[in-house]
Amino acid sequence: MPHHFTPLKLVAALPVILLGLASLWPSLLCAQNPLTGFPAEYLSPPSINHWFGTDQFGRDVLARVVYGSFSTLSSAILAVGISLLWAIPAGLLAGLGSVHVERAILACADIVLSIPEIFLSLSIITLIGPGAAHVALAVGASQAAGFVRMIHTEVARIRASEYIESAAGMGATFSQIILRHVLPNSLNPALALASLRLGTAILAISTICFLGYGPPPPSPEWGLMITEGRDYLSTAWWITTFPGLAIIFAAWTTNLVSHAIRRPL
Amino acid sequence: MYFQRHIFSAKLSIPLMLVWSTFCVSPALFCATPAHAEISVHHGGTLLYLEKQAHKSLYPPAGGFYPNGGILAQITDRLTWQNTQTLAIEPWLATSWQINADSTIYTFELRSGITFSDGTPVDAASIALNFDTYGKGSKALHLPPSEVINNYDHSEVVGPLTVRFYFSKPSPGFLQGTSVIGSGIVSPRTLHMPLEQWGEGHNIIGSGPFVVQDEVPGKSTTLQARHDYNWGPGELAPQGPAKLEQIRILVVPEDSIRIGAFLSGQADFIREVEAYDENQITRSGNLLYAPSTRGVNDSIVFRPDNDKVADVRVRLALLRATDRQEILHTLFSPRYPLARSILAGNTQGFQDHSSELYYSPTEAKYLLDKAGWLLASDGWRYKNGKILSLGIHVSAPHPQSRSMLVLLAQQWRKIGVKLNILTGSPAMVVLDDLDPQTTPLYQAEVGRADPDVLKSAYYPTNRNVLLQKGGQSQHVQHFTDPECNQLLLAVASETDPLRRLRYVADIQSLILKNSYSIPIFEEPQVYAGSTHVHDMRFEAVGRPVFYRAWLDTP
Amino acid sequence: MTRYLFTRTLHAIFVLWGAFTLSFILLQVMPGDAVLVKFQDPELGLNPQQIADMRATYGADESAITQYIHVLGRTLHGNLGYSIETGLPVGHMLQAAYPTTLRLAIISFAGAIILSITFCTLALLLSEHVTGRYIASFISAIPGITSGIPVFWLEIVAIQLVSFHWKLIPVVGLSGWSAVFLPGLALAIPISAPLAQVFMTTAKRVQQLPFIDVLRARGLSPFRILCSHIIPNAFPPTLTVSGLVFGEILAGAVVTETVFGLDGLGQLAQQAVASQDVAVLQAIILISVAGFISIGLLSEFIQPLLDPRIGRNGQQRKY
Repeated sequence: MPHHFTPLKLVAALPVILLGLASLWPSLLCAQNPLTGFPAEYLSPPSINHWFGTDQFGRDVLARVVYGSFSTLSSAILAVGISLLWAIPAGLLAGLGSVHVERAILACADIVLSIPEIFLSLSIITLIGPGAAHVALAVGASQAAGFVRMIHTEVARIRASEYIESAAGMGATFSQIILRHVLPNSLNPALALASLRLGTAILAISTICFLGYGPPPPSPEWGLMITEGRDYLSTAWWITTFPGLAIIFAAWTTNLVSHAIRRPL
Repeated sequence: MYFQRHIFSAKLSIPLMLVWSTFCVSPALFCATPAHAEISVHHGGTLLYLEKQAHKSLYPPAGGFYPNGGILAQITDRLTWQNTQTLAIEPWLATSWQINADSTIYTFELRSGITFSDGTPVDAASIALNFDTYGKGSKALHLPPSEVINNYDHSEVVGPLTVRFYFSKPSPGFLQGTSVIGSGIVSPRTLHMPLEQWGEGHNIIGSGPFVVQDEVPGKSTTLQARHDYNWGPGELAPQGPAKLEQIRILVVPEDSIRIGAFLSGQADFIREVEAYDENQITRSGNLLYAPSTRGVNDSIVFRPDNDKVADVRVRLALLRATDRQEILHTLFSPRYPLARSILAGNTQGFQDHSSELYYSPTEAKYLLDKAGWLLASDGWRYKNGKILSLGIHVSAPHPQSRSMLVLLAQQWRKIGVKLNILTGSPAMVVLDDLDPQTTPLYQAEVGRADPDVLKSAYYPTNRNVLLQKGGQSQHVQHFTDPECNQLLLAVASETDPLRRLRYVADIQSLILKNSYSIPIFEEPQVYAGSTHVHDMRFEAVGRPVFYRAWLDTP
Repeated sequence: MTRYLFTRTLHAIFVLWGAFTLSFILLQVMPGDAVLVKFQDPELGLNPQQIADMRATYGADESAITQYIHVLGRTLHGNLGYSIETGLPVGHMLQAAYPTTLRLAIISFAGAIILSITFCTLALLLSEHVTGRYIASFISAIPGITSGIPVFWLEIVAIQLVSFHWKLIPVVGLSGWSAVFLPGLALAIPISAPLAQVFMTTAKRVQQLPFIDVLRARGLSPFRILCSHIIPNAFPPTLTVSGLVFGEILAGAVVTETVFGLDGLGQLAQQAVASQDVAVLQAIILISVAGFISIGLLSEFIQPLLDPRIGRNGQQRKY
């Protein structure tokens, strides 16, 4: 199917563009400072000056939501990157190595997969301490086992396929086969899964930050903003509502991206 | 009932009200609920109390932790009672006492006819065992000694209702120490349990007006009134069993849920109402209670073992950079008085140091410049390539600790000092707070009405808030202040009351002169009660006493 | 079949042991042990010697391998040890906590299934109409959005609106099923998303099969075809994601029980992490792994029974 740009596709791309802009060039979307506020203007409802209102320190909620997108997105991308970093070698080894290696790696993956991700990542966080990068590491490490299994399946499929056999028959070396055939062919599904997992990672990260193990205040992190704002929910709904909507928006946008990647495959 | 209904019919009510009020001598009835004075005292009913945290251990010396103390104050009695107005020590389980001249021998005469909730009598032998345990701890049972009892040596059972305590050195704080929740009396059988079993409420056999009837660990505790209770302290007269039949304590950690549930009528009484919710409570017609916890104020203290805050000029600069008025104005309410010293104004021995605690960013900048911390182009201060950034943990038990630190960070940022607010699991917080390199700052507060509280807070083998060498931290390299420690020991063992108060004054001056502490506010415990809850009392450090309370709805 | 059952069970035991060991390693290398954490609390004011004594009496000073053998042996005898934080036997704590989590899981799972079937039925029925097609495509996009709703946020908002503002149901002082009703419904919304997505995909695939055309030609109403043919055929494959859903419910339970203050396993786990109470955390991990494995096995065995197209030998017939 040929790719044409239609108005509909452009509309569909808008959320992606918005999210990208927010995280890469936040000052374009809002002029206020996310870290320092005016205590005199605290807890003012949404208005022309503050579209999303202000929090208990008089900080602009819109600015915090916009600047928060970088923190959340970069952590999520880092988490998925860390997953892949572990999973690609392990998955390749499982798919290409001897039966014993394959069994050992898959058994390990099964063990890790059987432990609910949330417990695994909370344990890791307790081990290495809180912080933005640490949360990414914990979430990434606990998601890796799923990737290992997936890459292994892909590699095994490609390995069994006829063209690898013919390549081997034509005298290609083992490393040539891996680099030219196995790796590129198994990478695409992994990337599609990766972008889908981005949404899961965003949710997992904001959950851990909500539980209080994320970056310290006054960082504009969405999960943290919801924790800090919930005490004011009955009197100032805007402090909690907008970061929550931002998380939904970001997770939905990454879903769109993953659909877009998967469709041509 | 029929008779009452007639009395309060509209015609008769006005003249009878006058008669009623002349006969009624309980001032609290008028103070707390003037509009409801015509409602007669109702017996029975279950009060639903929402607590912020779950109790950890009901070992009485651990009663300083609010949730522990909140239960212990209902299920145990003490030898003495500290009057909440005059702070005088009054009889309770002990009817009288003698103290020798150098405060090394205390003799208590006990009231007769008192029993623990399992029926065993409260006698001299059981009281002796209580203080032997609290005074020295028990290694075999993992029970630590109590921080309110100093220099304890041994006990002696003189007669069935006469007990004597001996101290190796003068221990003038002991009499007040017998009145605190940490000295709650429990049965000898309870005292033979290892510390791990003190978490279960029904294991704790006290002689108080309530007993633990039922509990779900970490979630809820139900207290049942003892119908044969007849030995309350004089200030809470008249004698007799508690009026409430049951108190149901539910742990609801989330502030917004506690407030929301209370406002929508799902609970009768709640602890820890933050300042920003006070308006909602009063506007809805409910009552706020803000008893002071006395003792050491809510303060930011320094750990001078860390080189960055070893220089007194740096510490003083940070005090000058702290706009305490802005903190109180933005985050707190008039129920949180501005601290005027390291001690709260209503603590014995308090001295007003307000004139030394002023805000002056210019002076702060000057002091930091002089100390060699110079402003760099990035807006932060550096010395020998090291940035002036200081870590502090959010302190969960203190009101709005996180918000206060965020605001403090904004204030210090203006003079180029970076305040790193640390977060983590409670376990990590405990470990980090013992390392002066990680946490050169610490948020401290200790509630107790006796000046001994200074030793509890500052002495190396007690809470050691400054992290001096000689405490439990293995990370401290060199910092120690012998002069301060000597004064703290002197307060704990000086028998002459006037000289003792002079030492208390000296400690306050010394700590503020060295800028070891930035006192912020006098911490109250803010509770909210519905209009149906009457005659609610609080003991000297702000723990609720439900003994006299009653509900006007059946 | 027996041989297959045997190897599956063996594998399950192996995974259980592996998870136990992994969690032991993870929790052992933590910076401080629970004994240290509990007794270094300045409120107790113990000196270093006293703390060292306490650690010795708890056996916290023994080598990791000795401890591992001790803990493994103890666990095999069914003794899960004592919580250092509360002093209670871990077995009792779990016994007290699991009913809440189980009820929460049942309500949220049932709610999620009802929600996802309703969604899909609506979308499929509407897509039969020319004008309804747009609404249908809008509806089928909803699971993509609900899957991104953070559970904790949804629940905070639900409490505020449902309980405090509209005063429909209290949140404190409830017990039994009433305590998990609102939390379960809130949790059901994000959990229904993956179910709805899988269900929708399979339902669409079934819809395009020739036998549906035959039924249509016979003049059966779309609703009838949907209810008696498409849904029964599309539902069993949905069970394959039940493992995923189990994980999501557990993750949701940690957050939900924290937000609502319920006394379930999730809350217990959260607190155990916070206080580094190793014995409790390990027991919870062990239980959830056991749950995960048995659900996997169960769905593997149940699927052939539900799905007429899958033969007894486990091979799926080709469409």
